[in-house]
Amino acid sequence: MTGLGYAVDALAAWLAGSSEPGWFAVGLAALVVWVGPLLGVVFPLAALGQIVERKVAAAIQRRHGPNSASLDGPLRFVVRVLLWFLPRARQDRVLAALLRLPLVRSLLPVLQRLGIGQLAADGVKMLGKEDIVPRGADGVVFRLAPYLALLGAFLPFCALPFAHHLVMLEVSVGALYAVAVSGITVTALLMAGWGSGNKFSLLGGMRAVAQMVSYEIPVGLAIAGVVLWSGTMDLHGIVAQQYRPGVVSCLGWNLLQSPFLAVLAGVFFLAGLAECQRTPFDMAEAESELVSGFNTEYSGLRWGLFALAEYTEMILIGALFATLFLGGYQSPVGEQWLVAAPVWLSVPIHGLVFLSKSLLALFVMVWIRWTLPRYRVDQVMRLCWLVLVPLCLVALFGLALQLVLTGGTVAGDGYGRLPARQRPDLGALAWLLGWLVPVAAGAVLVRLAYRAHGSTHPALLALTRDPAAGGRP
Amino acid sequence: VTVEATTLAGERMQLNLGPQHPATHGVLRIRIESDGEVVSTCIPDHGYLHRSIEKIGECVEWAMFVPYTDRVDYVCAMNANLAYCLAVERLLATDATTAVVVPRRAECIRVLVAELNRISSHLIAVGAMAMDIGAYTPFLHGIAQRELVNDIFEKLCGQRLTYNYVTIGGVAFDLHPGAPAEIAAFLDQLERELVRFHRLVTTNTIFRDRCAGVAVVTAAEAIAWGLVGPNLRGSGVDFDLRRDEPYGIYGELGVRVPTGQGYAGRRGAVGDCYDRYIVRVLEIQESVRLCRLVLQQLPPAAEKATDPVGGWQADVGKQLKKPPKGHVHCRTEAPRGEMGYFLVSDGTKQPYRVRVRTGSFSAAGIFHKVMRGIFLADVVAVIGSFDVVVPEIDR
Repeated sequence: MTGLGYAVDALAAWLAGSSEPGWFAVGLAALVVWVGPLLGVVFPLAALGQIVERKVAAAIQRRHGPNSASLDGPLRFVVRVLLWFLPRARQDRVLAALLRLPLVRSLLPVLQRLGIGQLAADGVKMLGKEDIVPRGADGVVFRLAPYLALLGAFLPFCALPFAHHLVMLEVSVGALYAVAVSGITVTALLMAGWGSGNKFSLLGGMRAVAQMVSYEIPVGLAIAGVVLWSGTMDLHGIVAQQYRPGVVSCLGWNLLQSPFLAVLAGVFFLAGLAECQRTPFDMAEAESELVSGFNTEYSGLRWGLFALAEYTEMILIGALFATLFLGGYQSPVGEQWLVAAPVWLSVPIHGLVFLSKSLLALFVMVWIRWTLPRYRVDQVMRLCWLVLVPLCLVALFGLALQLVLTGGTVAGDGYGRLPARQRPDLGALAWLLGWLVPVAAGAVLVRLAYRAHGSTHPALLALTRDPAAGGRP
Repeated sequence: VTVEATTLAGERMQLNLGPQHPATHGVLRIRIESDGEVVSTCIPDHGYLHRSIEKIGECVEWAMFVPYTDRVDYVCAMNANLAYCLAVERLLATDATTAVVVPRRAECIRVLVAELNRISSHLIAVGAMAMDIGAYTPFLHGIAQRELVNDIFEKLCGQRLTYNYVTIGGVAFDLHPGAPAEIAAFLDQLERELVRFHRLVTTNTIFRDRCAGVAVVTAAEAIAWGLVGPNLRGSGVDFDLRRDEPYGIYGELGVRVPTGQGYAGRRGAVGDCYDRYIVRVLEIQESVRLCRLVLQQLPPAAEKATDPVGGWQADVGKQLKKPPKGHVHCRTEAPRGEMGYFLVSDGTKQPYRVRVRTGSFSAAGIFHKVMRGIFLADVVAVIGSFDVVVPEIDR
């Protein structure tokens, strides 16, 4: 055990009063040291994801989005609850003093305009809504589903390194673990669809299962490519392998290592979109077709849990993408100084960098959702089995070939955890083999696929040219 | 436990799409029998919005029916007004003593408002279709442009949805000062917006793939099933009443008629959802051109306040007390296709019978035919591509 794992041990020992604590003490200690803070980071982030979604959607649709819910009331409520032991008059005095603070007075309107107040209002609304279990529903299944969905979205975070050695479960097969436990979500959606006793929900649930089970294959293949490249399934090891000394440390990221890895990254992101049921793959929800799909019959807190699970999963996909392809928690520049920096400095920065990368991916997902239409269910399947899976296999093969040709699996490891085998420097030849040939072949393939698929009718292309810009597109 | 043969054979799923469903554009109910995702039969069930508008027509005076025509199709009320007023004018014209002459300026204004309303109606249609296919943003961009049209109409007649603007013998008010400039400015910025819209939706591969080859209606079928308007032209039939049976001043404008030509490419066919969509967006462009044309040749405003252009023609009221006996059918090209009023007059101040023929009604007739063997997700796309407005079906 490393890092804060020691803290768990120490706390458990202290709780149990012996050097070999039982499972209960260890569990409690892990809850206090790990799960609590992780929940405290991931779930607020998911809630923030909803605000990001609404604000970005508003920007795309040229409107303001939530900006009217004041934070004044929630602040008063929280302060009064915290100061419950004081008489009301003194609470008033504290509140007045608090609201006079320049920081509070300037910050509250800003947060209101950012829509944070709406978050509080929505939360309260959700808690206060009537909790309905439809008459035809399978009560147990119906009630259990949202918790499972949340579990499936949350558990993979345990294996993700948030900073150097800041990882909850240091499993040697972290990549496998993350994919495996996120599969719980499939069950949850099926349970929700089946248990609701509604045909639209049932269709949504069935679509969710068919789609998520299918898309786990390209996700798995993409991860396999990264594993092949880095020679480890340990997520921490995968991050460490992307370390590159020098100012521009992002040159070591997997995304930039090989065109095949770049293709796999694209596939991973697309399949990840499908895994978390986002447009253009939101078959299970499909508002205009299935009303709200699997969660049509849900209301109040349970619906809220589904929404939370959705955003948690989006952040998870973003975090996994960052871990596998964007160097994880490593800073894009000057990572070598961060590695050398003291822990109190590097861990928060690493954590922030990691979360920013996840949020960036979340932003892209939101952007896609409010731009693109939705695929049809058969097109989603066709895309998976006839495009993404073969593409993955080809990329995987190409990657293996590249590894064989250029020799060695691992470029270097700043943390000294993996055998550092330097690849022979083939100079221009490696560049030619590694980048130019695959990219050229890819371009030809894309062009052929585009031609086979059929492009936009020439008469319609004229419509996309701006008359004010002299007919230029 | 014995497993019965019937359970093994499986059964079809009965689905109720509507009357409250996000994609049915009003209270349209569609009974679907599906085998999982694949629709086997699909029967539209109408009547949820029936308000007996045709019956009301027999109970009110000729001119009092105009506001009701707004409600026949509230998405393009100007065109509905125009259709009815043209029919009454045609009835009056059957007798030389009662015939009314619509002033030239009023004719121009009629075309102007009808085409502006066509633009706003088509913006709703294509935006809603994009929304049904899952792209929510284009709908709002379309709505934003429609709001601008509504602003112009609000200045013109005080209403944003049901205008009651076209009257028998003219229009209710003359254009407000500055209206031509406003309309011209709107058209300019609409063209710029449309470019964005086309980049976002029309040329989008997902959108095209969703529409390509779905619910194909061949030209022969379209004629046989009585499709009208963009739905007919989407099947490649080159027919537009504004050009082929012109009314008002449309004959002088030289209306260009877009038709479906298998725009979706290799996977599509002439008369699929994409063609119907494309016909609508091309018609928006054509309407923009027509509006500009009319603005160029708009006669100057009348100098006297009593001039019949803006307002009620005094003698029309007299003639409507005793219109000629007989019946008349007048067809016009509304955004949703042919909107025809069949009027029977017994020579009294009230119509003996008012019958409305609408485009959505024709379109709903072919639903059960084209929605067989398609995916559930396509059902909403097909409804969107036929641009059904439910009050038109249930009058």
